[in-house]
Amino acid sequence: MTFFEQFPIVIQALNEGFLQTLKLFAVTLIGALPLGLLISLCSISSFKPLRWLTRTVIWMVRGTPLMLQLMVIYFFPGLILNNPIWGSDETGRFWASAVAFIFNYACYFSEIYRGGIEGVPRGQQEAGEVLGMTRSQIFFKVTLLQMIKRVVPPMSNEIITLVKDTSLARIISLQEIIWAGSSFMKGSYGISGQIWPLFFTGLYYLAFSGLLTLLLNRIEKKLSYFHA
Amino acid sequence: MKVLKRVLVLTVLAVMLLSMGACGSKADLTDYEYVKDKGTLVVGITDFAPMDYKDENGEWIGYDADLAKAFAEELGVEVSFQVIEWGNKILELDGKTIDCVWNGMTLNDEVKAGMSTSNPYLKNAQVVVMPQDVAEQYPDVASMKDLQFAVEEASAGEEMAEVNGFKSTPVLDQATALLEVSSGTCDAAIIDLLMSDAMIGEGTSYANLTRTIELNSEEYGIGFRKGSDLTEKLNDFLKKAYDDGTMAQLAETYNISADTIIAQ
Repeated sequence: MTFFEQFPIVIQALNEGFLQTLKLFAVTLIGALPLGLLISLCSISSFKPLRWLTRTVIWMVRGTPLMLQLMVIYFFPGLILNNPIWGSDETGRFWASAVAFIFNYACYFSEIYRGGIEGVPRGQQEAGEVLGMTRSQIFFKVTLLQMIKRVVPPMSNEIITLVKDTSLARIISLQEIIWAGSSFMKGSYGISGQIWPLFFTGLYYLAFSGLLTLLLNRIEKKLSYFHA
Repeated sequence: MKVLKRVLVLTVLAVMLLSMGACGSKADLTDYEYVKDKGTLVVGITDFAPMDYKDENGEWIGYDADLAKAFAEELGVEVSFQVIEWGNKILELDGKTIDCVWNGMTLNDEVKAGMSTSNPYLKNAQVVVMPQDVAEQYPDVASMKDLQFAVEEASAGEEMAEVNGFKSTPVLDQATALLEVSSGTCDAAIIDLLMSDAMIGEGTSYANLTRTIELNSEEYGIGFRKGSDLTEKLNDFLKKAYDDGTMAQLAETYNISADTIIAQ
C-alpha cells in the first residue's frame, strides 16, 4: 500500500481516536471545574474533621501518579469486590477514565481555587459585613467574583496540560489518539509496520492546544475588570 | 453540634463502604456459569495480524479471532473482542474485564503462573531482528553478545535475551522494540516469528530491517482466569477443531504454514 493509499485510512482512525481524546477532555472539564470548587470549600471549612479529610484526600490524589489512579479505578472493582462495574467495552473504559480524570483534576483545581479565594484581601469581606451583606452574598459577590479572574492564568496551565494527559488513559486501553497512532506499528486496518501515524498525532495536539490558548487568552482579557 | 457533625460524616462513610461491598456477591458461580449468565465471552486481544486484526469493515478477523468466534458459538454465548494493553493481561482477567486472552500468546512460566492455560495449538519462535546492512556480521548468538537488544517487557523475547545473556532494554511492546532498532537506539530486537513476518520488510517503515536467527521454539496457548472450568471446555473444542480440519483451513486462509499447527 502506498503512502497516499494509507493516508485517508490513517486519518480516519486518528480522527476517531481524537474524538475520544476530546470527549475525555470535555467531560473532565465539565466535571472537575465545579467539583474542584466544592473540594476547595471543604478544604478551607471551619469544621476541622472535614478540612483534614479533604486535605488528606487531596494529598493522596496529588501524591500518586494519575496512571496508577486509572488502574485502581478501573481494575479494583473486579479485583477486590469481584464485581467489574465498568464492564469490558470502550464505553466502560471511557467512564472509568473520566472518573479518574475528574477526581484528579478537581483536586489540582481546588488548590488553585483555594489560592484565589485566600488571595482576596480580608478587608473586602469586612467591607461587605459593614455594608450588611450576608455571608453567602459576600462569598458570591465579593470573593468568588475576584477569585475567578485571579485563577484564570494558572487554570489555563492545567487545562493545556489536561489535553496531553488524556493520553495516559491508554493504560486501561482507552483508544484515544496516541493509541490509534501507535496501532499502525503493529498492524491495523491492513496497514502494519508504519511509524509516521504515531508522530503525526502531534499535529492534532498542537492545533487543539493552539486553539485553546487563543480562547483562554480571550477569556483572560474579558475578565480584566477592576485592576487590583 | 460538633459531635453530631462528626457522627454524621462517619455514618456516611460507613454506608458508602457497605454499599460497595454489597454489590459483589456473584462469587459462587463457576467461570463457565458466569460467562453463560452474562451471555458474552470477552476476548482480550492486542490487534495483531494474522491472529486478531480488523478487516476493511472494522470486523475482527484472524486465525485466533475466527477460532474464538467458533468457540463462543459452541458455548452458546456472544463473542466480543476487547483490545487491551498487553502488560495488563492478568489484571484484566482477574478484574473480570475480559474472560480470556486469545492472541498468539506464548506459553511461558509467567503466563502459566498467572492464568489457567489451554493446550498449545500453534508453534512459534523468538527471532532476532536487526538492520539488513549489519546482519551478516552477526551470524550466531556468540557474535551478538555486545549488542543492545530491545524486547517487549514481560514477553518471551525478554526471557530469551536473559537466557542468552544479551544486554536488553525492556520496552512497551514489540512494535516499540522495532522502533528502537530502526531509530538506532538499540542494535537489535527479539520478537515473535509470526509478528516479524507482518511487520518488517518491503512496504513497511522497517524495510531496512531483517529477520536473522531463531533463538528458540515455543508454543501458543489461550489463557483463562486461574481455576476456570472454561479451560477444559476449550481443550475439548480445540480437539474437535483440529480433527474436523477447521484449524488447517484457518491456517490456509491466514497464510500460516501448516506445520506450525500442533496436533490435539
